[in-house]
Amino acid sequence: MTGFDLTAILMNPDFGRMLLHGLEMTFVIAAGSWLLAMTLAVLLLITRLSPSRLADRAVAAYVSYHRNVPTLVQLMLWYFGISSILPEALQYWLSDHGAEAIFAVIALGLCQAAYFSEDLRSGIRSVPAGQSEAARALGHSFFGTMRYVLMPQAFRNALPALINHSVSLFKNSSLAMAIGVAELTHAVKEVENQSFRTFEVYLIATIAYLICSLLIMSAGAALSRQAVLKGER
Amino acid sequence: MLWDILSIIQDNWLLLLIGQYPNGPLGGFAATLILSVLSIALAFPLSVLLALARMSRSPFLLWPSTALVYIARGVPLLMLILWVYFMVPVLIGANIPGFVTMLVTLVIYEAAFLSEVVRAGIMALGRGQMDAARALGHSYLGAMWYIILPQALYNMMPSILSQFVSTIKETTLGYVINVPELTFAANQINNQLLTKPFQVFFILALVYYLVCWTLSHAATVLERRIARKRAGTTSGTLPVELQPQTLTVEP
Amino acid sequence: MIRFSNVNKNYGSFQALVDINADVARSEVVVVCGPSGSGKSTLIRTVNRLEEIQSGSILFDGQDVHAKMRSKELNHLRSRIGFVFQSFNLFPHLSALENVALSPVTVNGVKREVAREKALQLLDRVGLAAKAGSYPGQLSGGQQQRVAIARALAMEPPAMLFDEPTSALDPEMVGEVLAVMKALAADGMTMMCVTHEMGFAREVADRVWFMDGGRILEEADPESFFSRPQHPRAQRFLSDLRH
Repeated sequence: MTGFDLTAILMNPDFGRMLLHGLEMTFVIAAGSWLLAMTLAVLLLITRLSPSRLADRAVAAYVSYHRNVPTLVQLMLWYFGISSILPEALQYWLSDHGAEAIFAVIALGLCQAAYFSEDLRSGIRSVPAGQSEAARALGHSFFGTMRYVLMPQAFRNALPALINHSVSLFKNSSLAMAIGVAELTHAVKEVENQSFRTFEVYLIATIAYLICSLLIMSAGAALSRQAVLKGER
Repeated sequence: MLWDILSIIQDNWLLLLIGQYPNGPLGGFAATLILSVLSIALAFPLSVLLALARMSRSPFLLWPSTALVYIARGVPLLMLILWVYFMVPVLIGANIPGFVTMLVTLVIYEAAFLSEVVRAGIMALGRGQMDAARALGHSYLGAMWYIILPQALYNMMPSILSQFVSTIKETTLGYVINVPELTFAANQINNQLLTKPFQVFFILALVYYLVCWTLSHAATVLERRIARKRAGTTSGTLPVELQPQTLTVEP
Repeated sequence: MIRFSNVNKNYGSFQALVDINADVARSEVVVVCGPSGSGKSTLIRTVNRLEEIQSGSILFDGQDVHAKMRSKELNHLRSRIGFVFQSFNLFPHLSALENVALSPVTVNGVKREVAREKALQLLDRVGLAAKAGSYPGQLSGGQQQRVAIARALAMEPPAMLFDEPTSALDPEMVGEVLAVMKALAADGMTMMCVTHEMGFAREVADRVWFMDGGRILEEADPESFFSRPQHPRAQRFLSDLRH
């Protein structure tokens, strides 16, 4: 094997393109599932706060499933299992429109929604009870209390956990390779097979992942610093 | 549907449990379990060393250990598996079975995450313990060994158990490099049957759910017991970013 | 202004309030005192329905507080009852000015600029105009409580309730909060205070209620109460206080 040569990968138009497309796909999967997860998490939280006990139990079951079943298995269940019991017309439509990526976004989004909703829930529970009492004593309605007093504080409290889980969401995008999505790790294997320059390809991809993760973490840290209440240590 | 599930279990339970042993390596759930237990057992002492290294003042210990933890947190586990799969044969000059690759990867990965848990546990005890120990004449490492670590590790048992649950879930990635663990076995069954993918993967999900749920529940029970025992002793509240539940990153 | 009629409250088998019958007249200042566990805090919290009652009625400015009503009506009623907590409960994510100005805007529909003007005046009234932009975390306990009083006043309530307002403060800050309360009383505000500050009671209160075991055992003007308590438990309470 010839010596270490990054340019053989980076400068090569085919390999470079494959890796770039892989990275693009990683972003698409990550962003798509993040949006799905956040939206769903807020809905789950609101459901959980409603007085119905059934709603609370249902959400608890949802969270329990997604936290105890491995993400890869969830992906497989969606892509191999659930797709097979969908109506045929839908199955054909899906396979024409990139079923793998769609199922990946759904599976990853639903999984992370469970974690995000728990983070938000802890955030709310860590707001002292006196806060909602004071708001109610002033005459605020339930929604007014939520909007002006509880949610801003809950979100601040939940921020570190949300950021951590956002990073794991990003990393989980690599799992989509197991169902054939052409994201970065998949592209890495392809380029490795064709170029035989395993070390260089791996290094490039690793650095790419690291930079993205660190970007997410530092964006989160900056957000955290902004959110620190003045006077808090 | 239910009949399908029951019949699949009835026909294939042995394969799911121990893989193709004795006609092949030990696989299935047994492999998953052995892999998880070994990984955590080996990762644990490594994580304590890493935690101590991260808290040291010497840059030779601080930088590499911090780098390792950030890499483990920032790079997908799958990527790490590929690295180990490639590098270890290069380094030792011989091929290694997938099982060993997974083991090595998981040990490194888990050690990095566990080290954060251990570090948080040590810091939660507060300076008072170390001050008291040093005042009595203990050396830094002596204080750690006899006083700090026993307390921190006892308090951190639920988190360690949680991390064990994560490890079980992480073993599923062995599927990608053909390690014959439980997920791989399930896929084998699916490839034979071909017509009942939902039932097969439902069974797979169910098994993992039962195992992980039981262990997580045990962790919660343990946490409550420890909290009761430790109530009244001053251990400071953890800064949020070091709290264990925000560290166990689920793949 | 506030009328308690045969009010009873229990937590399971524990009777927290027993047959409470009493009035607070307009512009009157009533101090409620007694040993801990006597029900004083519970009593004051029933006035704005932070606690429910099992029987009897409480009228605030003619309105039955514990009647069945829509939450909108309850919120409106609460906005007319000023409440100051022992633990201040300022909103930590808002500045002092915002804490005071928020509720008039979102609950009473006051225009933002008008509310801010008023908030500044109120902060000035409690001596904290200079701290309008500060956040609760940057303020001392005494300052926070004064902001909390301003926050309650911003809703222009006809009466103010104080639940042990100085009990959580370091001794040197108690005076500044009591000064604000004394000024309020002098301006004619109807006030009901649960407090241990007997000096405040002697100076400012029109009447003192002594509670123990969920009942009001003695009602008298401060002079009579402190020099010639009638009920034996009141006598014991006052002599304990002096030591």
